[in-house]
Amino acid sequence: MENRRRRRVWLGVAGLLFLLAAVLMFTGQGDTLPEEAPKVEFPRRMRAPERERAERRKTWVMPTVADAGTAAAERPRPRDPLLAALSRGAGKTAVVIEANALRHSPIGELLLDCLMRDGGKELNEFRTKSGVDPLQDLDRLVITDEGLMLSGDFSKAKFQDLMGDAVSMDYGEGARVYEPGEMTVAGPDGGTVTRRRNAAVGVWNNQLLMLGRTPDGVKEAIDRVEGRGPDEPPLIPEGSTYGEMYGVLSVDHLARLLPPEQAEMAQRLREVAQNVELHVDASSDVALVAEVRGEDKAKVTDLGKSLGAALSLARMRAQAEGEKEMAQLLDFARVQPDGESFKLEMAVPLDAIKERLAFCKEERQAAEADASVR
Amino acid sequence: MNPVLGIAGYVLREAVARKFILAFVVGITLVLSVVALSLRIEVVDGALAASRLFGEELRASIRSVDVALRPVYTAAAFIVFYGGILFGIVACSDFAPSLLSPGRIEHLLALPIQRWHLLAGTFLGVMVLALGGTLYGTTGLVLIFGVKAGYWTAGPLIAGLMACVGFAAVYAVMLTTATLVRSAALCAASGFLFLIGGVIAGFRQQISPAFEEGLSRSTFEAVTLMLPRLSSLAVAAGNIASSTPLEVNSLGMLLLGVLVFGFGALAVGFWRFEGKDY
Repeated sequence: MENRRRRRVWLGVAGLLFLLAAVLMFTGQGDTLPEEAPKVEFPRRMRAPERERAERRKTWVMPTVADAGTAAAERPRPRDPLLAALSRGAGKTAVVIEANALRHSPIGELLLDCLMRDGGKELNEFRTKSGVDPLQDLDRLVITDEGLMLSGDFSKAKFQDLMGDAVSMDYGEGARVYEPGEMTVAGPDGGTVTRRRNAAVGVWNNQLLMLGRTPDGVKEAIDRVEGRGPDEPPLIPEGSTYGEMYGVLSVDHLARLLPPEQAEMAQRLREVAQNVELHVDASSDVALVAEVRGEDKAKVTDLGKSLGAALSLARMRAQAEGEKEMAQLLDFARVQPDGESFKLEMAVPLDAIKERLAFCKEERQAAEADASVR
Repeated sequence: MNPVLGIAGYVLREAVARKFILAFVVGITLVLSVVALSLRIEVVDGALAASRLFGEELRASIRSVDVALRPVYTAAAFIVFYGGILFGIVACSDFAPSLLSPGRIEHLLALPIQRWHLLAGTFLGVMVLALGGTLYGTTGLVLIFGVKAGYWTAGPLIAGLMACVGFAAVYAVMLTTATLVRSAALCAASGFLFLIGGVIAGFRQQISPAFEEGLSRSTFEAVTLMLPRLSSLAVAAGNIASSTPLEVNSLGMLLLGVLVFGFGALAVGFWRFEGKDY
């Protein structure tokens, strides 16, 4: 009898424990699918859409000089005029920003909010004055040692109005160069102010806009597009046109970008590296790949290790100081050594950028609401 | 002496007498020694700068040592969790059937102890064995990477302890099976079955859409609701070992749930054992 009672107790206890276990496990695990860990895609090579994009841009066929028929006629290959316009040789800087691609990326939307914090007043003013809509007509923007280059559709641009009294002349096959001169702009009091414009401007086939320090610099760029430049490979080869931002940075430029406390690193960079190839992908998160090349394999490897260590220290410092976002950001940082070069990879999750730039959206919405009330 | 502890001691003595348990310990020692002797790690300011395995340089990127070692610790946690449970199922499947074998059970039942003491003691003895093996292996791993990389974390150790909780649920089922049929093979089979069931239960949200809506899906959800969520525990162990954020709502609840399931299975065993004639 006693045994039967005890057995019944064990059975009851078992049933209760199973029930309790089910409740605990259900609550513990939760009944929602776990969130996927953030994954960042780094721009390490050209992808199919980027290859197609590069092919589409090969629109310029250089005119050939007809000879007496002694040389075998070689059909000239179409080229991307913007890449052709870039300066040649080592130690130069050219960074291309894919303005159109960036504009249509999540980060582009955020930047647009920041640009239009005044409700788009300034942008509309620029559109009316210049005849150019940067959001529609601009394709790429290049920052070089000599100035800026913009590619896109400038057929509706009112250059003459913009350049004021600048002296302009036709140059080469289809370009026009505006030399520095005076221009009249509207003053804050409603009157007009005359300003001295220092930059020379060149327009090629209504596709390229070049802003340089001197007219000679602009003319040299036009010469390079039209095949009258030096016979050297372009600074950015077609195979390297991937990401929303890409190009080559001179070591000197890069070293100058480093903060003063990294002076030693900057000096080592100058000594070891020849150039730095840069690729930034902003299609979702912002991911950066920088390839540093040098001649001395051992020194390049050592520099890679020092850079990796610096990033690791920065991550540890961020963790110790409770800067969770920064620590998460540096989680993705790594250096991949590869003989005479190494790749540095870093990423900024989109959510972190959204959080930082949230104020832009708020200000834009407030400005737009204000304008609609008026 | 507490009768449960007495039986546990008896089980442990039996385990020591078995050669393959000793072989297991020697095996863990060998693996740890090989890792310790063949792996060379160069750490510069907290970054894993270079690593060599058997003298061959590994093509790895330079990054923070804890980030670089994450995959190693995650893999180690999974090996300890699933490998440990699998080994435990094979190695311990014979304990309960041999304890309940004719000749021996009559002798044990003649002792002034209650019947449930016998099962609880066996359970405790096996768990001490599992705990010892896990702690030995994971402590070795923590020491090796701690000394070599200068990165100290108790993650793998905690992951090992979580594996023991998972094994407790599986072994409780095996012990209960032994009270139904005195067969080591069937005990092991029930352990395997619950291990697989536990893996499925952990992924029930992902698997359930594969069932047609209605009775079949509801049955699947009801069954997996009761099973110990071993794969969730394994994933959590991997997260802890690699110091990455946990994917579960509450690890404490999950651990307790799996343990309570084990006690529930053990209570079924007690119920069965109390009513059995020998």
